[in-house]
Amino acid sequence: MMFNIATDRGTSRSISGNFEDFDSIRRVLLYSDLEPEWLDDVQKNGELFYLELSEGEEEAALAQAAANNGLSTNRVHFSEKEVEIISEECRKRPDGTPTKAEPKLKRLARILRRKRQPSQRSGPDGGAKDSSSLPTSILKNQVGQRAGLVVQQQQLKEVCVYLNPKRLGSCSPPPPERGGLLEALLGVVHRPSWGQGDPVGGRGERIAVHGLVPNSPAIKCAQILIGDDLVAVDDVDVTTENIERVLSCIPGPTQVKLTLVTASPGGPGEGGVDVSSAPRLRPAPPVSQLVRLLWGEDTVELQMSIGHIPHIVMYLSLKLDSDSPLEEQEILYQYPVSEASSQLKGVRGIFLTLCDMLENVTGGQIVSSSLLLSKQLVHVGYWKESNHLLVIGLPAERVPLLSLQTVVGGVVRTLNVMYGSLGSAFCQVDHAPRLDHFFCLFFQQLIHPSRLSDSSVATPPDVSETLFLYGLPAVRWLTLPPEIKMEVDTVLSDFESSDFGEMSEDFYGMRRLYVTLGSCLFYKGYLIANHLPKEDLLDVCLYCQHYCLLPLAAEQRVGQLVIWREVFPRHRTQNPQTQTNNNHRTRPGYCQPQGRYFLLIVGLRHFMQCVLLEAGGCASPALGAPGPDCVYVDQVKATLLQLEGLDVGMEERLAAPPAPCLSCADWFLPSSARDRLDTMAASSPVLSKLAGAVKPSSSAQGGVKGVGRSLFGGGARRPSPQRSQSDSGSEGQPEGGVGGQTGLSPHSTPDSARKLDGRRDSLGSGGSDGSGASGSIFKIPKMKHPNPFYLGTLKKSLTERETEEMYHTIKLTSGAENTLFHYVLMETVQGIFIAPTHRELAQLSGSIHPRLIRNFHHCCLSIRATFQQSLPSRVRRGTDRPQRTHGLGPVKEHGVLFQCKPENWTDQRKAAPTMTYWVIGRMLLEPIPQEFYVCFHDSVAEVPVEMAFRLSFGLAL
Amino acid sequence: MMLQQAGSVQLLCLTANSGVPLFTRGASKQLPFSIIGSLNGVHMFGAGQGVVLAGCETDRGGRMVWRVFQDSVMLIAVSSGGQAQQEGGGAGQEDLHLRRLLENVWNCMVLVLGQDELASLRNVERLKRDLRSCYRLIDQLLEGGQGQEGTMGDLTHCADCLLPPNATLLQEGLDGFTQAADSEFGCLMIHGRIATATEKWWRLAPQEVVLLSVLARSLSLSGSASCDTPVFLPQGSPTVAHRLLRFQLLPGADVCVLCGPSPTLHRAENELVGCFWSPLLEALRGSLAVGERCLPGSVTLRPDVLALLLINRESRRSVSCVKAIITNHSHPPSDHPLPSKARCWELLRLFYTFTTTRYFPLEETQAPALTPGEKAQCGDSLREDFALGFSHQPLQCYLVTEECKCFGLQTAQHQLYLLTPLSVPTFALRSVATQTLSAVTLATGF
Repeated sequence: MMFNIATDRGTSRSISGNFEDFDSIRRVLLYSDLEPEWLDDVQKNGELFYLELSEGEEEAALAQAAANNGLSTNRVHFSEKEVEIISEECRKRPDGTPTKAEPKLKRLARILRRKRQPSQRSGPDGGAKDSSSLPTSILKNQVGQRAGLVVQQQQLKEVCVYLNPKRLGSCSPPPPERGGLLEALLGVVHRPSWGQGDPVGGRGERIAVHGLVPNSPAIKCAQILIGDDLVAVDDVDVTTENIERVLSCIPGPTQVKLTLVTASPGGPGEGGVDVSSAPRLRPAPPVSQLVRLLWGEDTVELQMSIGHIPHIVMYLSLKLDSDSPLEEQEILYQYPVSEASSQLKGVRGIFLTLCDMLENVTGGQIVSSSLLLSKQLVHVGYWKESNHLLVIGLPAERVPLLSLQTVVGGVVRTLNVMYGSLGSAFCQVDHAPRLDHFFCLFFQQLIHPSRLSDSSVATPPDVSETLFLYGLPAVRWLTLPPEIKMEVDTVLSDFESSDFGEMSEDFYGMRRLYVTLGSCLFYKGYLIANHLPKEDLLDVCLYCQHYCLLPLAAEQRVGQLVIWREVFPRHRTQNPQTQTNNNHRTRPGYCQPQGRYFLLIVGLRHFMQCVLLEAGGCASPALGAPGPDCVYVDQVKATLLQLEGLDVGMEERLAAPPAPCLSCADWFLPSSARDRLDTMAASSPVLSKLAGAVKPSSSAQGGVKGVGRSLFGGGARRPSPQRSQSDSGSEGQPEGGVGGQTGLSPHSTPDSARKLDGRRDSLGSGGSDGSGASGSIFKIPKMKHPNPFYLGTLKKSLTERETEEMYHTIKLTSGAENTLFHYVLMETVQGIFIAPTHRELAQLSGSIHPRLIRNFHHCCLSIRATFQQSLPSRVRRGTDRPQRTHGLGPVKEHGVLFQCKPENWTDQRKAAPTMTYWVIGRMLLEPIPQEFYVCFHDSVAEVPVEMAFRLSFGLAL
Repeated sequence: MMLQQAGSVQLLCLTANSGVPLFTRGASKQLPFSIIGSLNGVHMFGAGQGVVLAGCETDRGGRMVWRVFQDSVMLIAVSSGGQAQQEGGGAGQEDLHLRRLLENVWNCMVLVLGQDELASLRNVERLKRDLRSCYRLIDQLLEGGQGQEGTMGDLTHCADCLLPPNATLLQEGLDGFTQAADSEFGCLMIHGRIATATEKWWRLAPQEVVLLSVLARSLSLSGSASCDTPVFLPQGSPTVAHRLLRFQLLPGADVCVLCGPSPTLHRAENELVGCFWSPLLEALRGSLAVGERCLPGSVTLRPDVLALLLINRESRRSVSCVKAIITNHSHPPSDHPLPSKARCWELLRLFYTFTTTRYFPLEETQAPALTPGEKAQCGDSLREDFALGFSHQPLQCYLVTEECKCFGLQTAQHQLYLLTPLSVPTFALRSVATQTLSAVTLATGF
């Protein structure tokens, strides 16, 4: 009926049937007594940051790397210490006791006991971790430390294999007589020497490879030979005695380095070749920088790479104790420690003095200052809180002054969310490594954004885009077809109701631990459902942004992500203190409970769900620093598993042609089109026309010609012959900028498309309404390309025939041709914005278009700054009315016309052809506050209000 | 504690090395010495650490800008945004204004005292006394656009011009007069703007032309019929003084000549002025009639242009005008009352600053006389160039505010800034602007 997305599900099933499904997933998760992999990573203070790549990714990466045979730079191993400590505790894993009906309390107690173990362990272990002691996965990276080992002992070879203990399932570990983990996990068959009966009890016999299990990691890597001796796993010496224990310590899918002694019968010469060349060519899994940074690896290396660019963050005390003998006592926190930053650190006196003085002189708080530091302009942002001053210095070429305040504000808010206040964030010594990691990520994102992005992404994000999109008080939203949206919302609501067996109070007669305040769901970095109040959403989103979780989920990378930490949502924790004090007398009634709040983020493949939990209030108050509770994590995981069925629908949505249609800038530049399409044009009359005839001046009338225009998804007013012509023309040329658009028309017959999305309405209805009001030339062209646009509300009044007529291409711009290049629409109230998806952008490849997008974002920074300066005055308008307005006053619309020329124009005789386009920003306060940024070709005069109006029909909430 | 009046700009001048205050202008209440000292000290401390402090701003739009000239004089401008509305977060806009102000003030000091005296700092007490002669000019610069004349040269560094209806006639008269006064530099000012000038006058550095106009204006405000003032040209001859002779031809019409030792003021006034200018009285009256519109009657502006600023990027001249608001009683007062004339001037200045900081490149003619070290710290290197971040070139831009609509456009030769009432539809702004540009340039050849 409605669930046309999950193929395995009968369509006749009722919703409740699905819920049974749902519950059953939960139940399975609940009762399957697997101990979660992340349990070891829970920190002493209860925080958890556990990230694990999906195994498909790892293996694919490994296989690819093996093919490339690149040089190893990244080896993964357990630190010996850790393994030893674990083995002392004699931990067995996975826990094999099938206790399905074990009472919850007992189980909880056991979990709690387990939880304490890692925290004890993290004491001695803390020293081993380098500068960042963020709770990392067990994977660690030490570059090139063991290189010497290989050279010294020629017979050794190192082989990296990918192991996944989870593949063994929940069954008990294979009995030793059947080879144990060595055989089951690694695939190495070792038969103990016949003389000794008890293999385990043996006195540390060498593990000789007697055979290999088919399809096992050992045989797949093709480097382990029968006859080799396995001497070490991740630099831990292994013998038959301890191998099972060592292997059992591998918690999750990971890469493991095996050290083997080759029994090379060909003598030392041959062995030398075999040993010294092959092992060192072991490739590294190309785990992206981002992931490694999140794991807390590489921070030093990354920081070195930007060491020459001046940047700093300092937390300074304004209360100077002159008696203290300490030299730098006013610096409470500082990052990084590099040469350029030391210069900035040296002049901290300036910051302190200015902060103190400016308030006296001008009556305002200092927010920024500019310094020239060995020819480099550096902007310094300030944030004063009681007696402390946060100072962030950033190079002007990365962060323009316009956005500095937004950036600093974002950092402060994130820190507030994470630690409650700046004071508690910076003043506790044990936070320092975590802050180091935080700011390392922060600076990397601003100074070297390309490093963090995966190379597979076509266009690396530039700083302007990051600054603009992350600076918006909103989250990127993905509109979904209503039926999928509804199902997603239902699943989320069901989760939030906490109605499932184990979480209810009656089940055990005890107070529940947490109340779910709400949750939001991301798919590939897009927000698809939000049940959080706006401010909470922004808090959560800021956290995700700072830890790059959104781009992370966009890549097929996340095997499992579990994050747990106490948070201090801004409007929940920061207002109540004052509010309750003031309002207690005046307004009896409901007041916000003074609880503690916890953020739980669980990611599974492309999905990521953020849940805000409250302890205290109606749940039992939290004591100490509670770690993540397995039940809650499992419930979220179950929700995500449940949602996985919707994957198809979302992919379909992402793969859908862009709605509204986008044009590529390159199409409007005659020369570049001609250059690139020369060969194509010869075969395709459409393209030759397209390449030749599109000039900014003539393009307004271009639609009359109709032929080339239909390529733009625009008004193909004439019937099919021409259209099919255009189709054939473009389908023959799948490459280039043009192919992107028409490549989208696999379901180009209107009928099939209509069946697919029978309830979709098109934007044209809204558009025509809007244009009627202002007399624009927007007309409804006959639908040819099914350009599905998902509308939240069904136009009920439309008859079937009307609907058919309305079924036309969605075009945001007026005129015959689609001139829209890019847009961003922000709904201020909901805190979301929509923009063309990454995939839509990737389809519009071309040489000029990416630059245009970059330019668009840069310009938007300026436009938004202009809007923002008018906002505070609006608030104070009532009181300040009689005063003379200073400055330009509130700006509600601002546009800039740009001219672009193709790069590398070599033709000396002719002037380079140009294309002009507008970037316009509009702030709407009525009917709903919105900010709208749009970029379109110059040929048609547009009314941005109207475009925003048309576009906002697409925001189905 | 707030030491400064809201919305005012205060200018501090100190010796760069010793931090001795030379003068303070612009505020009714002077900052205490300790504050002045630490403002200077902050900059000096940074310089010692290899860090040049350029400026800073507050959340209320207050702003402070430092600059050292010739390693001898430190100028600090402090603006207290005051009203929170002003430019909250409008980064860099006020900045341009203050930087221009410091540059103008320094040039003004050189103009009056000569570079040698300022650079050497032999006798601080005497310098303090001598600097008093600059106060009038400096005060005029501090007033900026708030002065009644509505000139923008101090901000744009393009000479404010008035396009007289009978330009050739006046040009001939001026050329003859200048020659007779043994000079090549002559200029006719109508209403404080340059109506016509000799070719050599235009070859002076734009800042000098602007500054001489400011000086001539302040001299003519004094009401004297003629005067003879020594001037150093900040770029042309910062160490050797010339004489600036100014004669009032009619109220509002002045002629200026830059000349050497001869002729005497007396001779020029008695023999030359009458001889050359009395035949041109009618032409002068015609020019005076142009008034603040600055454009001859042959140019018909569209009725929906409130104010305009047109800059010729090559010759570095500008024409600006604000229409007298005709309170038309036939129309009922609309929801959006038109901004007053003074407000229009202010908006025009603000819009110019906004546009040049964000989008259009500033026409920067760097003074050749600057030391290399000084060059490094002035101009663009101290100012972040947001415009450089664009991968494509901005050509036009517009703003819709609550008071009016602003439109700016630039071509290879011109920059045009327009204010229109809110009633003009936004999509029509562009054609209004292009029509205005062609109307003015075709009719006057500006």
